[in-house]
Amino acid sequence: MDPDFAVPSSLDEAVRYLEHDGAVAVGGGTQVGLLLRQGLIEPSRLVWLGRVAGLREIQRDGDGSLLIGSAATLAEIAVSPLVRSAQPMVARAAALIGNPRVRVVGTIGGHLAHADPRQDLPPCLLVLAAEVRLLGRKGTRDVPLRAFFRGPFETAIQEGEVLIRVRIPASPEHTRGCYKRFTPGTSNDYPTVGVAAVAEIEDGTTRRAAVGLGGVAPRPLLVDLPQLAGRPLDATALNAAGQAAATACDPASDQRGSAGYKRAMVRLWTERALGACRP
Amino acid sequence: MHHVAVVRSQVPHGRIVAIDCREALAAAGVAGVFTGRDIGLRPYGRRVRDVPILAVDEVRFVGERVAAVVADSRSAAEKAAATVIVDVEELPPVLDAEQALTPGSPRVHETPWAYPGAVVSEADPHNLQSRVLHGRPDEVERRLAGSRHIVDRVYRFASGHQGYIEPQTCVASVDAEGTVHVWMANKSPYRLRAQLAACLDVPPDRIEIHPVAVGGDFGGKGSPMDAPLCAELARRTGRPVKLVQRYDEDLTSANPRHSGRIRVRIGCDSDGRLTALTADALFDGGAYAGFKPIATVSLHGLVDIGSSYRIPAAAVDVRIAYTNTVPRGHMRAPGAPEAVFAFEAAFDELASEAGLDPAEIRRRNLLRTGEANPWGETWVESRGLETLEAALAAYRPLDVDRGWRHGRGIAVYDRPTSPGKTSLRLLPSAEGVVAEVPMPETGTGAHTVVREGLARELGIEPGLVEVRQVSTAALPHDDGVGGSRVTAALSKAVAEAASAYIDRGSDEAVTVVVEPGGNPPVTAFCVQIAQVAVDPRSGQVRVLEILSAVDVAQVVNPHAHRLQIEGGAAMGYGLACLEDLVMRDGRVWAANLGEFRIPSTVDVPAWRTVLVEGGRGVGALGVKSVGELSNVPTAAAIAGAVADAAGVRARDLPITAEKVYALLRSEEVS
Amino acid sequence: MRLAFLLNGEQFETEAPGSVLLLDLIRGCGLWGTREGCGVGVCGACTVLVDGDPVSSCIYLAGCALGTEVWTVEGVARREPDLVEAFIEHEGLQCGACTPGQLVMAAALRARGKDPGEAATREFLAGNLCRCTGYRSIVESVRATLGS
Repeated sequence: MDPDFAVPSSLDEAVRYLEHDGAVAVGGGTQVGLLLRQGLIEPSRLVWLGRVAGLREIQRDGDGSLLIGSAATLAEIAVSPLVRSAQPMVARAAALIGNPRVRVVGTIGGHLAHADPRQDLPPCLLVLAAEVRLLGRKGTRDVPLRAFFRGPFETAIQEGEVLIRVRIPASPEHTRGCYKRFTPGTSNDYPTVGVAAVAEIEDGTTRRAAVGLGGVAPRPLLVDLPQLAGRPLDATALNAAGQAAATACDPASDQRGSAGYKRAMVRLWTERALGACRP
Repeated sequence: MHHVAVVRSQVPHGRIVAIDCREALAAAGVAGVFTGRDIGLRPYGRRVRDVPILAVDEVRFVGERVAAVVADSRSAAEKAAATVIVDVEELPPVLDAEQALTPGSPRVHETPWAYPGAVVSEADPHNLQSRVLHGRPDEVERRLAGSRHIVDRVYRFASGHQGYIEPQTCVASVDAEGTVHVWMANKSPYRLRAQLAACLDVPPDRIEIHPVAVGGDFGGKGSPMDAPLCAELARRTGRPVKLVQRYDEDLTSANPRHSGRIRVRIGCDSDGRLTALTADALFDGGAYAGFKPIATVSLHGLVDIGSSYRIPAAAVDVRIAYTNTVPRGHMRAPGAPEAVFAFEAAFDELASEAGLDPAEIRRRNLLRTGEANPWGETWVESRGLETLEAALAAYRPLDVDRGWRHGRGIAVYDRPTSPGKTSLRLLPSAEGVVAEVPMPETGTGAHTVVREGLARELGIEPGLVEVRQVSTAALPHDDGVGGSRVTAALSKAVAEAASAYIDRGSDEAVTVVVEPGGNPPVTAFCVQIAQVAVDPRSGQVRVLEILSAVDVAQVVNPHAHRLQIEGGAAMGYGLACLEDLVMRDGRVWAANLGEFRIPSTVDVPAWRTVLVEGGRGVGALGVKSVGELSNVPTAAAIAGAVADAAGVRARDLPITAEKVYALLRSEEVS
Repeated sequence: MRLAFLLNGEQFETEAPGSVLLLDLIRGCGLWGTREGCGVGVCGACTVLVDGDPVSSCIYLAGCALGTEVWTVEGVARREPDLVEAFIEHEGLQCGACTPGQLVMAAALRARGKDPGEAATREFLAGNLCRCTGYRSIVESVRATLGS
């Protein structure tokens, strides 16, 4: 039986459609398209969010945080002047995902809901303390990203809920971010490891530093680096950061690298990504 | 037209207990479900006829065809195929070539020597597909013992795939007279016709192969593949049937390349002159031998190892084993990239031992005109030295980013040009001529060669020459695309046809048949210089440039010729750095193009091509083959460059960052 | 459901599930230029334009094309024959299997503005695999169509 295809024009309508047993929300549809053709899912209904009014908007909130509608495409995020000025690391990471066809169709909501531990945006959003807003029959709830990813392809989204927005709080002054994706094979592939580094450095002293790691655990990891606070971000500090990240991760051996290699690469690329955050 | 979906074995080895098709038979749109019991054994093959149309009693690899569903749409066929339940009693599988040739290992076939075309006997190890021995091993041992320097190494190769963008496809129908009509992505229509005739037990003139453009071949589309099945299904259902493999089926169940290992021992004297070479190759041929086309059922590139050099004594032993894995086939210069990789890598190490650099040791040992190669072959000329010097003269080192290490590597390959048998008909048309040719265009520009050649010979504009492929009913014969024989064979045909056409007044049709043979022995050299940048902290290798110096005679179409060189180098780069089907536990894990990675626009290095002109070619147009040339030495050149950059030697392909990283760490430790 | 969109400039309507893949719908109309290669959105042989954006039609749900403008290689070649000329002149093909996708990408790139340079052009084409040419002639063909 082919699933229904619902095209809600408002969020309320979307939520009502999603109440149906076996209903699945669809952003750009590329993941769903793939899973459908491989016979891996059998939804009763597809609820396409591409026509929901206002869901694609990217705007700045009163407190300076960036609000990205879940139906915004990765390509839109990559070129958005707002994202590029407020959170350039996010724009740059979005520009690296997949290939140009993936980016014009894939939405940030679909990307996050898919929750492949190797993806590029989750580490970046984690390290920027982002949160997602979920909408269900009972209303909305905000979930910080560090609580959103539960495991491979598993998130906090419950039945009947849909991801409607990503909020990235404004970063303190003197904050720099850098995302490094290590793809030693072909370039438009999932990375072997992805490291999103953020450092707030003022007058030569690190006030805060953290890295988000992709591809090296069952879910994207946030590694806070309190040991770096109050010090310069010098070679010793970078070394310590690399060690901490390598210790925190839990990689699995696969086609893109053995566990040992990935751990070694987490250490190296944490150093490099954080190093690039120096003024 | 009906559509076919195939039910495939999920286990590497087993006895079929039962196949439950009831749900499939009752499904919407289904016209029939067929198993090996319905079709009968009827094995096919390019030489060895050991491939069942559908498995009968036994399955021998994950992906083997077990049943076929015929329905009025592809999706109906696939949905029904998913409901077929195959009950298999699993048997112990043999999953690698070493194990396969060990006494007491599980048998892939009960009596492999009994298959038509088999080159093994009952006395051979029971899982042997073929063994080729060549040269003088005793002489080699004697000379190695007396050598000043010796290198003894083993090199390993993963399985890969031809990576054509268009998957395997076939349409078959049977007409009222019982003639079987086939439209198929296949590069050798006349051979296909003969193979089908043998398998279906139908005379060749009751089989017609129709012209179809082929979306890339690279050696993977030369077998009957699904045509026998489609012909049988068309016969039984009374309608034409179409089978298009999904790409994951192609990657996992068609005829990818052999994996294997080569042990190379070479020696030289104190001046770095080679004294002897021995190579022992063991490769995995998978569950069936029927996808290899040559009489020895081997990979001739392996047998020709070291051919570009002067080596007083040489011996080679090439064994291919049956295993319970996907049957392997040919890919662009079969065995040659592996042989050249192994030889050139050992040669570089020997150079190191002898205190020579890679260019100098090659200078001293490259075959000169008049000298016999290690296998006793002599050529009208051997231009390896000129080609090496041309490459070195053109070489310009590139800058690398801070922290990265630059490296340069050199590798050499030569390949003989041997035209095959072909035919061609030339007829007048309103404005010019029509050339009817028996071979498909697979992307190599074969049809363009005909057009350009005829334009030249007849003295008319190329735009007035129309080239069209015709069915097997219309022309006598062709050996098909492959073995780099197309340009040479066609250029002969073009010259003879043009000459006959003009003789007859240029107003009536002429048909020529061109036989191979009667040509001077010609070989063409390709020397590649690779430049890489290595990041020692991660092991990442960026290939910056592949410079290909190519020994040429006449070049009929310079654009097509250049594309063959660049495309070949791209394929060589993919083999060197990216491609691995990841065969584990008897199955292919890299089962889609997202996992089996072929190079993209941003991955490929820069290409530079230097043509070393003035060579002596074959036939009236005087050509040398180029189709299976530049893809061969690339991996060897890249490995040499990595050794130059990072001081470590990669001995198995593909060369990944992790492998280089591990080599660097073990260097540090030791 | 009723699926309606512009296809190569003409109104197209059919009754089909929204979950049908756009590739299958297009080929079902007899437009065979768009091919299935890898079937997982990686190789680009199935590339079509939806509202000017290049998409992998092999994993694109037809329902998402509702009310949009879809262009396949046939339509692109008709409305921009100079793209085809450029590929011929610069030898941007061998077997032709990837060529429809490359042509559609060329049209999409041109619509985005002037020539972004060699590196950015290669980035744009990174999802269109070719096994034959080694890409130099494809990139030259595409850049030849771009204004400076």
